[in-house]
Amino acid sequence: MKWLGLALAAVVAFGLAVVLGPAHVPLSDLATSDIVRSLRLPRAILAFLVGGALALSGASLQALVRNPLADPFLLGLSGGAGLGAVLAIALHLAGPWALPLAAFAGALAAMALVYRLGLVGGAELDPRVLILAGVVVGAFASAVTTAIVSLSEATELRNAFLWLWGGLSGASWDTVLVACVYFPIPVAVLVAAARPLDVLALGEEPARHLGTDVEPLKRRVYVAASLLTAAAVAVSGVIGFVGLVVPHAMRALWGHRHRPLFPAAFLGGGALLAFSDTVARTVVAPRELPVGIVTALVGVPVFAFLLRKWTAS
Amino acid sequence: MALRTEAQTLAHLRSVGGGPFFAMRLWAHRTHLAGLLTLAAVAACARGERTAAQRGVAITDDAGRRVTLAAPARRIVSLSPAITELLFALGAGDRVVGRTTWCDYPPAAEAVPNVGDGLNPNVEAVAARHPDLVVLYPSQVNETAARQLERLGIAAVVVRQDRLQDVARAARLLGFLTGREAAGDSIAGVISRGMAAPAAPLGTRLAVVVWDNPPMVIGGGSYLDELATLAGAENVFRDVRSASATVALETIATRDPDVIVLLRDTASSEPPRIARRPEWQAIRAVRERRFVQLTGSLFGRPGPRAAAAVAEVRRLLREVGR
Repeated sequence: MKWLGLALAAVVAFGLAVVLGPAHVPLSDLATSDIVRSLRLPRAILAFLVGGALALSGASLQALVRNPLADPFLLGLSGGAGLGAVLAIALHLAGPWALPLAAFAGALAAMALVYRLGLVGGAELDPRVLILAGVVVGAFASAVTTAIVSLSEATELRNAFLWLWGGLSGASWDTVLVACVYFPIPVAVLVAAARPLDVLALGEEPARHLGTDVEPLKRRVYVAASLLTAAAVAVSGVIGFVGLVVPHAMRALWGHRHRPLFPAAFLGGGALLAFSDTVARTVVAPRELPVGIVTALVGVPVFAFLLRKWTAS
Repeated sequence: MALRTEAQTLAHLRSVGGGPFFAMRLWAHRTHLAGLLTLAAVAACARGERTAAQRGVAITDDAGRRVTLAAPARRIVSLSPAITELLFALGAGDRVVGRTTWCDYPPAAEAVPNVGDGLNPNVEAVAARHPDLVVLYPSQVNETAARQLERLGIAAVVVRQDRLQDVARAARLLGFLTGREAAGDSIAGVISRGMAAPAAPLGTRLAVVVWDNPPMVIGGGSYLDELATLAGAENVFRDVRSASATVALETIATRDPDVIVLLRDTASSEPPRIARRPEWQAIRAVRERRFVQLTGSLFGRPGPRAAAAVAEVRRLLREVGR
């Protein structure tokens, strides 16, 4: 029943994303419309994939650092991506993929640095050290970014921030293809880690006693979740809130076991982002809202409702 | 010294100013914005002598601040490229003793000492030029800086120069403050007459794209929209009232402009970035490669060169065809 409801929500969100838009396309022309084929459909698919990736990444990072406030951007990835994007513009790197690739590289650099700091004092990724390292690296990257922005020409860089704040305007069949080729690998790694993460939830010592290889598990989850988030940033900028709220909402419905939680989070995140993007495109047409605002506006009431239901039962 | 009231100034402007068109425009300002935007009183010496040195000048600036000068400004720091350009056009270029990094027109302006990027003014660097007048554009940090300068005993005026009507007004205002009223009136007159007489319609519908991802276009409330309209073209996003707005690509595709206009920092004959982006190919003007690329300060900076900008936009639009 829960699964049916979620699947229905996902299908409806995706369907609305294809049917609705600022341009009026009659239902009978849906299959032949150039606007639907080359703009709306890839955008809806990308929204779904990115939303799902962020929610899955958030769910696994919350399990890894055992902190409910964790989200995909907690560990310095958005700061690194921002620095990469701003550097690409400041250095006048040209080409349609320069900005996404630079953001991706920046996110990976931040990830590597946080990872290295997380290994301080032995070979283990201590969750507390990891969070601190993430916050510190993110703050440092933001400071460098701000320094570059304030020292160079303003308009171009301000626009880089616009891009970075998230949005799916860049969606095309190319970006969908990139996402379809890239996403499955980290997604598979995370899904395979679902069972061991259940054990890890008991604490690192008990997990070790139960025969789980805790250190490799943590590294695998951290790298896979970060790679997934970095790719999401590259195709759509930093879209907040999906990775924080969707895992919690799904936990309220499916409990703490990661086997059902991960697919549910993926579907829920995809549905939320596809729906939010439809709202972003249509409510203030011809203008468009930043999708991150809509994910919060749509996500918070849903989350509050679930939270009430959860604490009541 | 007797200061004239604002009403008297209005009457004065009606009788000697740029004709009924300007007066109406000014009147509209007054009714809309409760007098905040008006030029205020010109002081005349009680004895009626009108030599520059003896005449005091008082105005209300665009931030609603009352500013009084004992005499026309002789050392001016300009914290906006548009204002620097206007001061030179008024013939007060030799009195500009400080400018921003971006003040590159006219070329003579580059010989003036640079006091910073003008985004968040360095009050010390400005004060070090010993100005008797500092001109800033309206912004939160600039209004704070204006108050700080005032405390240092330096007169500071906040002048808006976002659209053509602002240029006409700014020309008169800075004309008063520099004692070059005739030059100010003449610039304002040229601009007002230009605004009243747009070029014959070209039949070209255009969209001005200022950024590709997220797609941002110029709306009806902007200088570029005015340039396009005066050049005889139609901005398909005129109904968007703000200066610029983020829109969905499918909205651009549906509105189907004939030409995409882009702004570029440096001249280049290369096609713009959007020409190579797959998602932009849903737009006919992109598929047909109908681009007009505007380069340099002429188009981004409302000022006395507006007529030249309009003519150049019209020429480029004609070149790319319908």
